[in-house]
Amino acid sequence: MAMQITVNGEARTIAAAPMTPLVEVLREELFLTGAKQACSEGFCGACTVLVDDQPVAACLLPVGLVEGRAVRTVESLGTAGDGLSPLQAAMLEHDAVQCGMCFPGILMALTGLLERRPNASEAEIRSALAGNICRCTGYERIIEAALAASAALRQPEGATP
Amino acid sequence: MNAPMIGLDLPRRDAADKLRGQTRYTVDRARPGMLHAALRRAEVPAARIVRVDLEPARRMPGVRAVVGSADAPGRSGMVAADQTLFATGEVRFVGEPIAAVAADTAEQARAAAAAIVVELEPLPPVLTMAEALAPDAPLVHSGWRDYPQFVPGGQRAGNVAWEATVVRDDVAAAFARPDVTVVESTFRVGRQNQASLEPRACIATFEDGRVLIETSTQAPWTVRDTTASLLGMRPADVRVVVPAVGGGFGLKFAFGLEPFAALLARSSGRPVRLANSRRDEMLTALCRENAEIRIRSAVTASGEIVGREAVVLMDCGAYGGEQPFLASMTAHTLGGSYRLGSVRLVSRAIYTNTPPTGAFRACNGTYNVFALERHTDEICQAIGMDPVEFRKRNVIGDGSIGATGQVFEGNVLGPMLDRMTALRAKAPERPAASDGRLFGRATVIGTWFILVGPSAATVNLNPDGTATVVTSGVEIGSGAMVQALPQIVAHSLGLRPEDVVVRQADTDAAGYDVGVGGGRTTVSLGAASVAACQEVRTKLLQIASDMLEAAPDDLVLEAGHVQVVGAPQVRVSIAAVAQRAQGVTGPISGSGAFTAPGTASRPGCTAGHLVDALDLPVFAVHECEVAVDPETGQVEVLAYRVVQDVGRAINPRAIGGQIQGGVVQGLGYALHEEVTIGPDGKVRQQGFETYRVPLAQDVVPVEIDLYEGAPSIGPMGIKGAGEVPILNVAAAVACAVVNATGRPVREIPLTPPRVLELLDGAADELRLPHIKARWEDNVLPPAAAAG
Repeated sequence: MAMQITVNGEARTIAAAPMTPLVEVLREELFLTGAKQACSEGFCGACTVLVDDQPVAACLLPVGLVEGRAVRTVESLGTAGDGLSPLQAAMLEHDAVQCGMCFPGILMALTGLLERRPNASEAEIRSALAGNICRCTGYERIIEAALAASAALRQPEGATP
Repeated sequence: MNAPMIGLDLPRRDAADKLRGQTRYTVDRARPGMLHAALRRAEVPAARIVRVDLEPARRMPGVRAVVGSADAPGRSGMVAADQTLFATGEVRFVGEPIAAVAADTAEQARAAAAAIVVELEPLPPVLTMAEALAPDAPLVHSGWRDYPQFVPGGQRAGNVAWEATVVRDDVAAAFARPDVTVVESTFRVGRQNQASLEPRACIATFEDGRVLIETSTQAPWTVRDTTASLLGMRPADVRVVVPAVGGGFGLKFAFGLEPFAALLARSSGRPVRLANSRRDEMLTALCRENAEIRIRSAVTASGEIVGREAVVLMDCGAYGGEQPFLASMTAHTLGGSYRLGSVRLVSRAIYTNTPPTGAFRACNGTYNVFALERHTDEICQAIGMDPVEFRKRNVIGDGSIGATGQVFEGNVLGPMLDRMTALRAKAPERPAASDGRLFGRATVIGTWFILVGPSAATVNLNPDGTATVVTSGVEIGSGAMVQALPQIVAHSLGLRPEDVVVRQADTDAAGYDVGVGGGRTTVSLGAASVAACQEVRTKLLQIASDMLEAAPDDLVLEAGHVQVVGAPQVRVSIAAVAQRAQGVTGPISGSGAFTAPGTASRPGCTAGHLVDALDLPVFAVHECEVAVDPETGQVEVLAYRVVQDVGRAINPRAIGGQIQGGVVQGLGYALHEEVTIGPDGKVRQQGFETYRVPLAQDVVPVEIDLYEGAPSIGPMGIKGAGEVPILNVAAAVACAVVNATGRPVREIPLTPPRVLELLDGAADELRLPHIKARWEDNVLPPAAAAG
């Protein structure tokens, strides 16, 4: 039976069986291949998406549990055309990307964090990445870039030293 | 001269799409009418195959093709043809492919693979190197004598898949000297899984009697040639195209799933996709091999190393794969870095009934440098010399003779040690901690190399003034193809990097290339591209010479123009010259090639080596500070410093990214990553829950100093920078833990339980009785050799 979910702001009708992992629906039915299915066990974080603004491992979440909810994937970040979100732009500026497989998940984990905590500290950023494996970069540039994006997002009056 | 394109921190051209999730890796690709494949794998480590019945699978729903050993009788191997695509006659490891199925859906393919009837008669497995070398051990390959051997000179016999030896000068005499201290150390290291986030995956399609393979590989030409050989096709009838690769680290330097997909595509007439799950990758990745090492040195009171001998056992698993090649590296990693009066080394690849091992970033080097540097610190302790002082006295320098007799050029390691001292002086002071933990620091050195070897490049100068570089180079994440190569070509032709288009790897379009590995891409493809640019430049200047009425020798390429030296206002755009060429000579292009120049070793001192001497050595100095918690055994890395010999840095920031990433992979290797094999022959770690790789909370920012100016045969003096960062990490961590605890580290990874054993004194001795006391007894007698 078809169900409705909102994906990147658009209402979508999903044909897949309710127990199908969300990541498979995104990749195989909606052709949103940004989220990666790199371990299928919830340990690598490459499939991380936001469901009602919360980062979740889309490989573990049956699509049936997402019915009526709002899913955001890496494809929703930035603006149409060449625009990148401040977080994406910071990753580019810090030369953080290598093979790139982990970034769709890392960007969504960090986007979720920065929406909740625009003033996120380095410790909060590291902690938000606890479920995301990057095998190439050694993480530091990702963290530096996230801190830079966080600084750019801060309200001037809310700034803390 | 040209605007300095070399040394610029230019961004990656592939970053924006990777950040948008728009990059289509092989795992993201599909073709109309595509089938999905699954492999039936062995579940026991050793067995005689009584019967394989494919028929039940053929009757399953959705099944379009089923293939087995009869469909691919060919053999493959690097030095000896010891492997078939499917287990044939015998099963030799858990996970070995027995048959393959293609069906409409992946579920149907898996169900059909499970329906294949496999009848086995179990054989006693050989699961460790100690078992493999025991007298009367079962042979993993009882027919080893019958395998065609491709590489002469190397010895193999029984469970010794390959043996490489170095004997230079009189080691026995050195050890017999009355004025020497003899120090002996033994070490053992585990397997490390590359764990690239993109698993091995491919799609094969038959078109016009040829097979097109889109695959996640580092070595398209190896895939082309091996697939052709196993399918009985002409290599020219296999076309390999490589999209962006989601990490390789050496895993994808060998062929992978491609021949299975190609067979199924041929059999079904449909495109076939085959992709490994994470569990498949844990079970069958060509891990960095586990190794066992004994090293002995004879050292004088003043610290001169007059004699050194070592035995290195490398577990190649059930098939030789790349290990015979990697066995050659012991001469240069364990035999490297230090001046040695005399030396004899034996490096043996040992067959076991375990999954085959293979290449992983700084293959062979990580554990040999760990062993060598720990041993060096034990020498220092034995003779009472400061470890850094000892290294400064003994490092190879200009004119030094290496283990295989090669003459090294330039003083590099010595000045790099001084630079490490300076780098440490710049580090912020940390307040002395008094939390009960044990603090330690160590400085270690290492020798690595760039795997040069054949590369081809074509550069087309387009009428719009851009250039297209056509090579078989693959972007695996290092940035070599998206940063370094366009910077080199732009520099050579006076263009902007954004005016250089880099063609995706395609064996139909570009000439032969060894593959992306061994730190070679920037050097070898860079050199081939520079040579191609020379031809383009010559043709360009010839035509511009007519247009500007100036001799070609008086012209330079600068900022997209050809201009007259000393009269920069007299110029014409490169685009205009390229357009003019269309009607004069036809389009301008150039081709270039590069290969290993061949560096001399001393004749007769090596046997079984595929690399006798290093054409392009690379050096590294690492320093690590640790805190060890004596209650929990937890090792925390507090600071990490790297001085790396890069020749000349094309993109220093990109190199910094390689160093940070490589060091962190090394920290995983040193502290917690280990693939182990159970008594049932199965890999115990089946996913990231049990195979723990470093996470964001585990790491520190690496303090980096790039050492430029060392001699290099690379274009513009460059060296590869991506492979070496992992080389010294296990050594640095282990030596720092020894410094902190006063206990001898003999095994890595230094997991908390192992560190607690260490602190209890339960790990002081590591006995390896299968390494014989006399060095000569660890070497095959010449009579044992095949053919």
